[in-house]
Amino acid sequence: METLGNATSNALFLLISGDAELWKIVAISFQVSITAILIATPPALLTAFVLAYGKFPGRRVLISLFSTLLSIPAVVIGLTLYLLLSRQGPLGEWRLLFTQTAMILGQIALSFPILVAMGHSALQSADRRAWETALTLGANPLHAVATVMWEVRFGLLAALLAAFGRIVAEVGASMMLGGNILNYTRNIPTAIALETSKGDFSQGIALGIVLLALSFTLNALFYHLRGGGQPA
Amino acid sequence: MIESPLKLHFNDIHKRFGKRHVLIGANIQLSGGACTVLTGPNGVGKTTLLRIMAGLEKPDRGSIDMGLGATRWRRCYAALRTRILYLHQHPYLFDGSVSSNLAYAISDKHNRCLCQQRIKEALKWAGLTAIAENHAKTVSGGERQRVALARAWLREPRALLLDEPTANLDPEARTRTLELLFRLKESGIALLIASHDPHHFASLADKHLQLTQGILAEELSDNTNVTPFRRAHS
Repeated sequence: METLGNATSNALFLLISGDAELWKIVAISFQVSITAILIATPPALLTAFVLAYGKFPGRRVLISLFSTLLSIPAVVIGLTLYLLLSRQGPLGEWRLLFTQTAMILGQIALSFPILVAMGHSALQSADRRAWETALTLGANPLHAVATVMWEVRFGLLAALLAAFGRIVAEVGASMMLGGNILNYTRNIPTAIALETSKGDFSQGIALGIVLLALSFTLNALFYHLRGGGQPA
Repeated sequence: MIESPLKLHFNDIHKRFGKRHVLIGANIQLSGGACTVLTGPNGVGKTTLLRIMAGLEKPDRGSIDMGLGATRWRRCYAALRTRILYLHQHPYLFDGSVSSNLAYAISDKHNRCLCQQRIKEALKWAGLTAIAENHAKTVSGGERQRVALARAWLREPRALLLDEPTANLDPEARTRTLELLFRLKESGIALLIASHDPHHFASLADKHLQLTQGILAEELSDNTNVTPFRRAHS
């Protein structure tokens, strides 16, 4: 077994040398998670808007439901979709199990409640006059929705980052639905889990560094966009 | 600016919140180029009436005649939103510069040059040229009101509903706001101003209405007698 010092220096070497296998894992991770977040965001934010501004029976129940789903374990999502997509499952004919599509579905299911709950919270804090002013100035409903979302864009961006952070680092659903197939469904968290179980920490540490760098970059970008923490 | 003289009738408007009747059979008519001042104590329902008229709040009952026969609010609220512009007591300005706020009110943004020209005209009209690039959230209360009126001027509504437009303004800002309102009225826009301080609008008003305990009544010019406002079609 490698010492921590050796493993770290090997990890840095893997990163700097442009190790093909390692960067392929990173690319798959980003490809799957970015696709999932791009698909999930529009309907999730629209749902958040309807929950924040709509008046209909069952609205409060839905808000509570999405808040509850925030803390649902990734393996439960993985298990549910596994049962649906497995050969014996109702969607078995689609043959999606152990594909990137299945991983994307799992990550959409994980990110959707985060986007809805945090988006709802951001939209609810928006000044109601923004919506009314947009309408009274002749905006159509869709344009007015976009206007309100622009007014609370930092809150929505925070929701987006939180959702992306969760799906890019989750193991359970990706492992169950993707199967951890090298060069196809092996992403950063499943690779870390596998390499650690084999006692090979170098690649795990290298991929961990990539995740930390990603997290740092996204947060720095968010901080910069918000005006460096200065009050508006 | 205005295609034809506006005649807008709101008939038998009812609204209640819980057990409290805010509006009981309110009838109101707006005419192009006329200014109506709506008075009443705080919390009596002036804002609710304005919001119903602007298509932003659903009444419990009532009909609206926009010149094509009486119709229910539900069927015409979208049309109300395109014809009537409602200004909140503290007008909301979007995140961005004063100019970008004015740009929002221009429906046809395809012609960039024309758009810029219209914004320049609006800035000049409202005396906002000096603060055109200032962030909208940093302007004073009086300037905020003028930005909102400049947006209204650009939008060219048939009627403008204003909720306490001079509240919390110093005398100079109030005078400038009244001057802009006068110009909007002159251009043929119907004005309805809700205020609990009607004497500020004495020079502008053609008619005074009072809302008390859900009943809307026309106030006589000597301010001593209040008679029920007649139904628009009676």
